[in-house]
Amino acid sequence: MRARDTRGEAFVAGAFIISIVAALGLAVVYIAGGQTQLEGVFLFLALGGIGVGLVAWAKRFMPAGEETEERGRLESTEEEVAAFTADFEAGERLLGRRSLLVKLAVGAFGALGLALLFPVRSLGPRPGRGLKTTAYAQGPIRVVTEDGRFVRPAELAEGGLATVWPEGHRASAEAPTLLLRVDERELDLPDDKMEGTVDGIVAYSKLCTHTGCPVGLYQQAEKLLLCPCHQSTFDVLDGARPVFGPAARPLPQLPLGVDDEGYLIATGDFDGPVGGGFWDRER
Amino acid sequence: MTARRRRPHRPRTPLTRSTARWLDNRLGAAGFARKALDKVFPDHWSFYLGEIALWSFVVLLLTGVYLTMFFEASTQEVVYRGSYEALRGVEMSKAYESALDLSFEVRAGLVMRQIHHWAALVFVAATTVHLARVFFTGAFRRPRELNWMVGVTLLILAIVEGFAGYSLVDDQLSGTGLRIAYNIAISIPVAGTWLASLFFGGEFPGDQTINRLFVIHILLLPAVIATVIGVHLAILVRQKHTQFPGPGRREDNVVGERVWPTFAAKGLGMFFLTGAVLSLLGGVFQINPIWLYGPYRPADVSSASQPDWYMGWLDGALRLMPNWEIRAWGFEIPNPFFPGVLLPGITFTLLFLWPFLEARFTKDREPHHLLDRPRDRPLRTALGVSTMTFYTVLFFAGASDVLAITFDLSVNRVFLILRVLLFGLPPLSGWLAFRLCKELQVWDRPGASEEATVPGVRAPTSGEEVRREIAPEDEREEPASAGVPRR
Amino acid sequence: MRRLRALPLLLAAGVGAAVLLQGRAGASDDDPLGYVVDRGALREREVIERGQELFAVRCVSCHGDDGAGIEGVAPDIRGQGAAGAHYWVTSGRMPAEEGEPNQSPRKESPFTDDEITALVAYVASLDDGPPIPDVDPGAGDLARGGELFRLNCAACHQAALAGGALSYGRNAPTLQPVTAVQIAEALELGPGQMPVFDYFSEDEVNSLIAYIRDLQEADSPGGFSLGRIGPIPEGFVAIVPGLGLIMLFAVWIGLRRRSEPVSG
Repeated sequence: MRARDTRGEAFVAGAFIISIVAALGLAVVYIAGGQTQLEGVFLFLALGGIGVGLVAWAKRFMPAGEETEERGRLESTEEEVAAFTADFEAGERLLGRRSLLVKLAVGAFGALGLALLFPVRSLGPRPGRGLKTTAYAQGPIRVVTEDGRFVRPAELAEGGLATVWPEGHRASAEAPTLLLRVDERELDLPDDKMEGTVDGIVAYSKLCTHTGCPVGLYQQAEKLLLCPCHQSTFDVLDGARPVFGPAARPLPQLPLGVDDEGYLIATGDFDGPVGGGFWDRER
Repeated sequence: MTARRRRPHRPRTPLTRSTARWLDNRLGAAGFARKALDKVFPDHWSFYLGEIALWSFVVLLLTGVYLTMFFEASTQEVVYRGSYEALRGVEMSKAYESALDLSFEVRAGLVMRQIHHWAALVFVAATTVHLARVFFTGAFRRPRELNWMVGVTLLILAIVEGFAGYSLVDDQLSGTGLRIAYNIAISIPVAGTWLASLFFGGEFPGDQTINRLFVIHILLLPAVIATVIGVHLAILVRQKHTQFPGPGRREDNVVGERVWPTFAAKGLGMFFLTGAVLSLLGGVFQINPIWLYGPYRPADVSSASQPDWYMGWLDGALRLMPNWEIRAWGFEIPNPFFPGVLLPGITFTLLFLWPFLEARFTKDREPHHLLDRPRDRPLRTALGVSTMTFYTVLFFAGASDVLAITFDLSVNRVFLILRVLLFGLPPLSGWLAFRLCKELQVWDRPGASEEATVPGVRAPTSGEEVRREIAPEDEREEPASAGVPRR
Repeated sequence: MRRLRALPLLLAAGVGAAVLLQGRAGASDDDPLGYVVDRGALREREVIERGQELFAVRCVSCHGDDGAGIEGVAPDIRGQGAAGAHYWVTSGRMPAEEGEPNQSPRKESPFTDDEITALVAYVASLDDGPPIPDVDPGAGDLARGGELFRLNCAACHQAALAGGALSYGRNAPTLQPVTAVQIAEALELGPGQMPVFDYFSEDEVNSLIAYIRDLQEADSPGGFSLGRIGPIPEGFVAIVPGLGLIMLFAVWIGLRRRSEPVSG
């Protein structure tokens, strides 16, 4: 038994010593400028040394775990419950004599509670037209690239893809627009939608109609737009109709035109609210 | 002064003892403290799972306080001028910039950030595994239905707290997740757009969002979680811990170790060991490299955009859900509502109600302080395994695009396979679990007569012969869980 | 003993071959941008003729005698120019061996640098097409490149170059092995499933290249990068080795000793 004694003690001692050394190491690393991996390893050894030491100490040198404790009774005894009930009801009766006051007190608490809810209303504005329109609604407006440049139709080659915004609204979270150019003859849009295209350049909202992620992937050969979040897939030639995945509505189309100076413009807003759906989206 | 003055010899009281006496004179806590130290806790390894969650939370608090000293929850735009070259000159919010500074300028800042994030992942993981242990051993039965519900609440709070935490940084990945959360919120019928507007302070992204998430993440939820943990532990102490059946272990006692010194030492040791592993993770495995993702921009996105692991099941459900929407009279219930609101609603409601559902089904309303081994309740175990399989498939679905590219499969085919597995695998795994339980019960029988009877297992009908066929080592397959103590 | 003497020779041959092979498909130390070909020689008649011979052997069966393409097999490559030929051949995607040409995987080119020069010269001679671009990543703005990358490229190629899944079996490949010249060419041409990004200015292209190269060489200050694809491997590590290790400690704590513990 004596041999085990020493070995057990040595183990625990060793663990604590490792911890001390590691803590010193940690200090040195920090003073020397810090290094993430070393910090992690030394912390592991410093904390782990204490942990291993404590546990080994407990396992080897502390009572093993066959102690017993009676659970006793969990529920209160009948007498205790009766005593409580008696005291409580006594107080209740006193209150109950003034039933009008009790009712008014309850009313006051309730009214105050309701009134205090009203500040919650200040947390945000009433959901409004903003959900259904974007900055494009202001009327014919030029589209701009990420660094503010206007776009001429000739700049976008067939098979090309660009992200644009309405001029002056580069920070808008709901106006990002995809400009794509395809072979005009392959576009399968109804006539009024075709009017919103320019030589095969078509514009759709970049926000997925599922949960609003940017539909950033374009499979150029198959003319498919793909959203990375939940894999909704949209057919560019067919009005960005969803062909796979959880999106249920096509990407809204932005009607395009060309202004007098030959720059691409949006002639109106998207043909539907952008992004994910909501209760009164169609109203 | 030539002669040294002799002081009268006075026995010195150790500082600890005199302090304790000082406190007791004012609080009278000796009796309570003694009872506390004498309490017995059973020592099965699986009972430490809840502790792992608890200590992870403590690590989160400690590292979190440190991070709060440096993080700025501000959406004010600044131009980055720090040491990470690839972002120098880029406009970003102060929130993102302060997170970059934590990673690159503050000494030991990166390891603190990473420990914090790893601890969050492990916190939810440990909570989940702990929940599974409680479920499969029937520890949620009377009188512990209350604590079960408290625990499920903790799980929900932990998930929300984690989401709020990593969304604070305003990087591209978490911002994408926030946008999805916004869209799920607006998908709620009638009240959705209101709820979203009130929370985000308007339309997405809102300039109050980071600030509100900050308040929630560092003040509200930690306070609530700490309080609920306190309630959880208080109920546990009041009701005393459950235990596996075994020699000397009855419904009316607890057999194990006293708090002082054994259980306290082991518990404290567990804290240090948890902290140690989390520190190792924090130093050695990179997590959430926000500098690679860039600051959040509403038009940007990266492929392989997933939420943190504990929300993977929601993401998977959003992907696998067929694109059904309900539209009538100009109103609609859009697609994300079903997997994004209805599914978690049903999930957590069923979880909350489980103890009552099981009690109604088994007609067992007796208090239980002795645990079941999973094999002793084949139906419950099968249901649990089946349910876990369902959610595991959803987890995999959340990784659909990464699975596709890793295994060179079409992502469309991955969807199809997962949809089939989602409904095909749970019955199969449930059935397998059921059969496995029955098999294990057969293995048990020769040994069962030696020990205290385990509820639910029939006494062996075969005698010595069967006992000899099975070597003693086989009976020890699940150490300590079969109620067979190792001596 | 004789065998041992031959060993260093074999090693040298092996290393030499590795160096040579390295130079074929991509960049090397003396060609860090990945030009590979001798651009000055692209108009020489002998080089073009040599290219035509190679083309006849390796390319005609799919792309037709004059590169006009074969319906349902391979596209018309006459307008691809030197840039197109250079991109497809130095990346090894051409010649296509298996799978559909639209997703022909990147691989070691079977051609030597001279052969590549010849092929490029020949394809460039077929019709007007973009020349091999001049790239100068040093002149690019790293941060601007990052912004452009995250807006236009990360959605398919992933924020840290790991690549991403498209639909129906296609994918956007990892950008880890691409050379500077190949980046510029891919932007110009929109090869395969990739859109055409020819509207970037020279500065923007150089900036993009600078950023991509920076990512290619970036180290991971946080430790093992876990593939840099984010929460999926992170979740796995947290649960399996992370919680797993802590649970092992818990098992250790709960293990009973075989004999009585020593008191004290």
